[in-house]
Amino acid sequence: MARVAPSAPQIIATKGIGPGFVPFTIVLTIINVAIALAVIYLPLNFLLPQESNPASDSAVGIDALFKFMTVFGSAITIYVSGYTAYFAWVFRRRPDEAINTVGVPIHDAPKLEFWWTLLPTVLLVVLMAFTIVVWKQINFPTSAAALTMEVVAHQFNFEFRYPGLSGSLYSPQGEMHLPAGKPIKILISSGDVIHQFWVPEFRLKAAAVPGLVTELNVTPTHNGRYDIVCSEYCGVNHSIMQAQLVVEPPDKFDAWLSHERVAVAATAGQVQLAGGDAGAGKTTFTAKCSACHNAAGSYDQKIVGPGLNHLTDDPAHPKLVNGDDPSPENIAMLLVKGYQGPIGVMPNRQANGLSDADIANLVAYLISLK
Amino acid sequence: MAVESTFGQPSPLLERAAVEARYHNVDALYEETRDMRLFGFILFLLADCVLFSSFIFAYLFLRASAPTWPPVVNGTQIGRLDVAFGALNSIVLFGSGVTMHFALESWKNLKTRAFNVWIVTTTLLGIAFLLGQAHEYTSAPAGLTWSGNAFGATYFTLTGLHGFHVFAGVCYLIVLTIQANRGVYTGSKYFGLTAGTLYWHFVDVIWVLLFVLFYLW
Amino acid sequence: MSVTAHPIDLHEAHDHIHPAPQGFIAKYVFSIDHKVIAMQYFVTGLLFMLVGGSFAELIRLQLWNPKGTFMEYHTYNQMFTMHGTVMVWLVLIPLVTGSLGNLIMPLQIGARDVAFPWLNMLSFWLIPVSGLILFSSFFVGAPSSGWTEYPPISIQQGPGGALWSLSIIVVGISSTLTGLNFIVTIFKMRAPGMTWTRMPLFTWATFSTAILNLFATVALSAALLALFFAQVFDVPFFDAARGGSPLLYEHMFWFYSHPAVYIFILPAFGVISEILPTFARKTIFGYKMIAFSSLAIAVLGFTVWAHHMFPSGIAPWLQIPFMVLTYLIGIPTGIKIFSWMATLWGGRIQFTTPMLYATAFIGTFSFGGITGIYLACVPVDLHEHGSYFVVGHFHYVVAGGAVAAFFAGLYYWFPKATGRLLNERLGKLGFWLFFIGLTGTFLPMHWLGLEGMPRRYASYETFAKAFPDAVFWNRFESVFSFFMVASVGLIAFNIFTAIRSGRKAGNNPWGARTLEWMISSPPPYYNFKKIPIVLDRPYDFTAPLPYLNLDEEPDPYPVPSEAVLERPRVAVPVGA
Repeated sequence: MARVAPSAPQIIATKGIGPGFVPFTIVLTIINVAIALAVIYLPLNFLLPQESNPASDSAVGIDALFKFMTVFGSAITIYVSGYTAYFAWVFRRRPDEAINTVGVPIHDAPKLEFWWTLLPTVLLVVLMAFTIVVWKQINFPTSAAALTMEVVAHQFNFEFRYPGLSGSLYSPQGEMHLPAGKPIKILISSGDVIHQFWVPEFRLKAAAVPGLVTELNVTPTHNGRYDIVCSEYCGVNHSIMQAQLVVEPPDKFDAWLSHERVAVAATAGQVQLAGGDAGAGKTTFTAKCSACHNAAGSYDQKIVGPGLNHLTDDPAHPKLVNGDDPSPENIAMLLVKGYQGPIGVMPNRQANGLSDADIANLVAYLISLK
Repeated sequence: MAVESTFGQPSPLLERAAVEARYHNVDALYEETRDMRLFGFILFLLADCVLFSSFIFAYLFLRASAPTWPPVVNGTQIGRLDVAFGALNSIVLFGSGVTMHFALESWKNLKTRAFNVWIVTTTLLGIAFLLGQAHEYTSAPAGLTWSGNAFGATYFTLTGLHGFHVFAGVCYLIVLTIQANRGVYTGSKYFGLTAGTLYWHFVDVIWVLLFVLFYLW
Repeated sequence: MSVTAHPIDLHEAHDHIHPAPQGFIAKYVFSIDHKVIAMQYFVTGLLFMLVGGSFAELIRLQLWNPKGTFMEYHTYNQMFTMHGTVMVWLVLIPLVTGSLGNLIMPLQIGARDVAFPWLNMLSFWLIPVSGLILFSSFFVGAPSSGWTEYPPISIQQGPGGALWSLSIIVVGISSTLTGLNFIVTIFKMRAPGMTWTRMPLFTWATFSTAILNLFATVALSAALLALFFAQVFDVPFFDAARGGSPLLYEHMFWFYSHPAVYIFILPAFGVISEILPTFARKTIFGYKMIAFSSLAIAVLGFTVWAHHMFPSGIAPWLQIPFMVLTYLIGIPTGIKIFSWMATLWGGRIQFTTPMLYATAFIGTFSFGGITGIYLACVPVDLHEHGSYFVVGHFHYVVAGGAVAAFFAGLYYWFPKATGRLLNERLGKLGFWLFFIGLTGTFLPMHWLGLEGMPRRYASYETFAKAFPDAVFWNRFESVFSFFMVASVGLIAFNIFTAIRSGRKAGNNPWGARTLEWMISSPPPYYNFKKIPIVLDRPYDFTAPLPYLNLDEEPDPYPVPSEAVLERPRVAVPVGA
């Protein structure tokens, strides 16, 4: 092909915005209105967790925000994608078109640019206001908490502590119960690494951070059984770190709590210490306690918790950390119940997986550290 | 250099360079690369500022969330750092900044002997500062260890990072002294010395911050 | 054409042509030529993409079964950690900034190389070093705490964590040096007459990215240095028992890692801004707004990091300013999207492969950006954080955004780098596979996340009990992920065959107007024998080319070549 002499470009003009623009816009708008109506008026069961959906007072506001964003977000997506596809089709190069055709040489359009900057800004400001309203409602509950409880996350289970309960409940055997319709303050922390406490039907989660106490305020609104899932990677068994949450009417909750108080207290003082073997206790100690406690070191030689040499006969520390005398029974009680210290949490028997025999052996070993 | 230009205007840079070349032996080619290298070096120092700022942020964050400061370890509160010694060491370092300034000025005025005296003094003062820091580290208050607590973690990391920068600076000063005396730099081409001076002042400014944050506050 | 009387700054220094490199090592291994370095970044990035992509496919195979029996949990945790780490630091940064930025930016500004070519070479070689350190961790147990590696778990996990920290510090140094290099290059080495507002938009994007590369990456090095000290020397920055705080790491880490995502996407925006005018045959709409919005996004990008930490234990009042600033970043982004759409309007669009990718980008990136607004909304984020909604969001903006734009740039500039055209049919097939795969893999993730599926789960049995459709959708996603594998495989095949037997491209196959298309394909090692003079912005297709002093005199009105159009040229004179 002979080299063709260069020629000036041919501008192909366009009448209006494009052929069929108005009908196309009408179609897009109808679709967006239909989506908006569906989002606003249909229950979102297909989109959000199905069990008693939503199940907390905060969830109502969160779902409303979600719907608001979906109405506008899907409209923007549909208009942007739709018009992009429209322009791509209408302004495609025709097969027989001359090679030197060029498009409309428009550099800017100040009025259009003004509106397409202002309108999204206004929308975002409205969204900010709506967000702050819901945020305030979640973070600053209007009524004082009827119940304050604690959740401590561990690798790889959840520990639930209730007022008046001398011990804790541990998942998976133990469940977390909450009374429906009452404002609840849940104080959350961790015994080891960062975890996260999430109940999807509540639409709420909070991190469990070692050394920090985070707060979740919620009023459960629907009775039912929910999953608590850990949603911050916490180690090898992160994917199987779940627990059960039961929301029930307040009277049933009170009955459950009283029952648990009795049950936990009953298990506390029943460990038989006779026949404990110090040798076996040493093995158990190495496996379960040496990460935090130094058996050969004095009290001040801390790893995390105090050193345990001379546990029963250290003149500088004549009592156990909880103020009790260092008798075998009191040592056993500490192992059963665990201890919340200033810098960390010593897990109780369930968290450590200590059987009665383990506790007897450990006590025998610990009192031998003289 | 011939360029077909419809503008026909000479470059102001070339014009000035031509004038200066008659009086100060300025090399236009050198001027442009020096310009780039200076800009690059300043950007490097700004990035280094971000490095220190990140660790200073860490210190401020941990200090703000600590119940007491200095922290309590095993029942006893860690003692404060020795302000007097720290101030003395600071004076040594700031003094070295002054001597470095004089070193560069001497070089610009082609006073080679004075330059050598000033830059060697700077180097020795820098080494004295490092020795002072070593003394600080070995006689730190009880309980102040790198892995002991947040105070030790931030103090040793920040001052250690700074000390590493001083050490690198001392090495650079030695190299510069050798290069200058070998004739690599001339009265009009001495970018390495400019960079070294800037770096040394940077190290001084960072120390001001660290001294205030750890010793005085 | 506007002729302004700027005095021309004749850069003597850059008029100097150094002698050609001699020998294989100097030419291809330890080269200081920005174009060779760009090729090295490209090959390395592509290799790591294959590795990172393989890890992703292992993830998708594991998630076929809710019990997660394909791999042990510990292995799976290493897979998602290494997938994220490799893709973020060994693929996206080398490919988008390192290869495209290095190849094209100096050509676009009419320079012979970057400001500090030796530093550029060092920047590249740090990438394989970093990869070596990272992959050596497989011998001691690869890191397994996610690409974010939060302490305390990242300290607890074993020696792999320390190797991870070290390797990313190394890649961070590479990034920082590149940022420094590019900033000085763009400030000081532009051709005479190329004022800031005559710079091509890809160069504007590269400049904005370089600011982030220089200043943000150092913050990452600090965070990871602290983590390294914690992992190896037990320094308690993040140990609550000794006065440290795990939250401190999150602040230090995200202060870099949020600007990092703008490091991925700003050059991508630049690529789109180059491709749309060329194939629509009309000027970019809103040049100044697009240029300045890149800077605005770079600067604002530093202020929003804690939106990754809303439920992490930060004080509630802190959530509000970060929410507000994150929303506001949507505005310059929206301006770009509308400007691109206005660039398409009224054009004469030819849908070559790069144009297909660029146009689809507008849709996928908008969608990803909107889901980002959901996540920025604090109350909604309390539900969506840590779920598959986040995974869907960031894969849309990263895979459907940065990677798609990279492929657009690859198809667009491959002819310039190699002198050969890639096969259009294969390219188009790859395009459809990629976007169908993208949609099938990542769209359902939003729904799964809303329904309550947490991320980083090796097995999702509990979730599948509550939501039985989860099994179907996870399998659906796994199937479609292989479409993307096929697409990347096609691209690799296309590259291999094109290099050997692709059609010759010539200087300017697309009929584009920026300076890189004024020289030969591939360019000579010195790029420009004579430094060109720039008289105006490049994008006005109704004006002749605004350059003087070019090595070869091109057509003043460039048009796509025959090879591209696959039909003979017919130039119809004006008035005929």
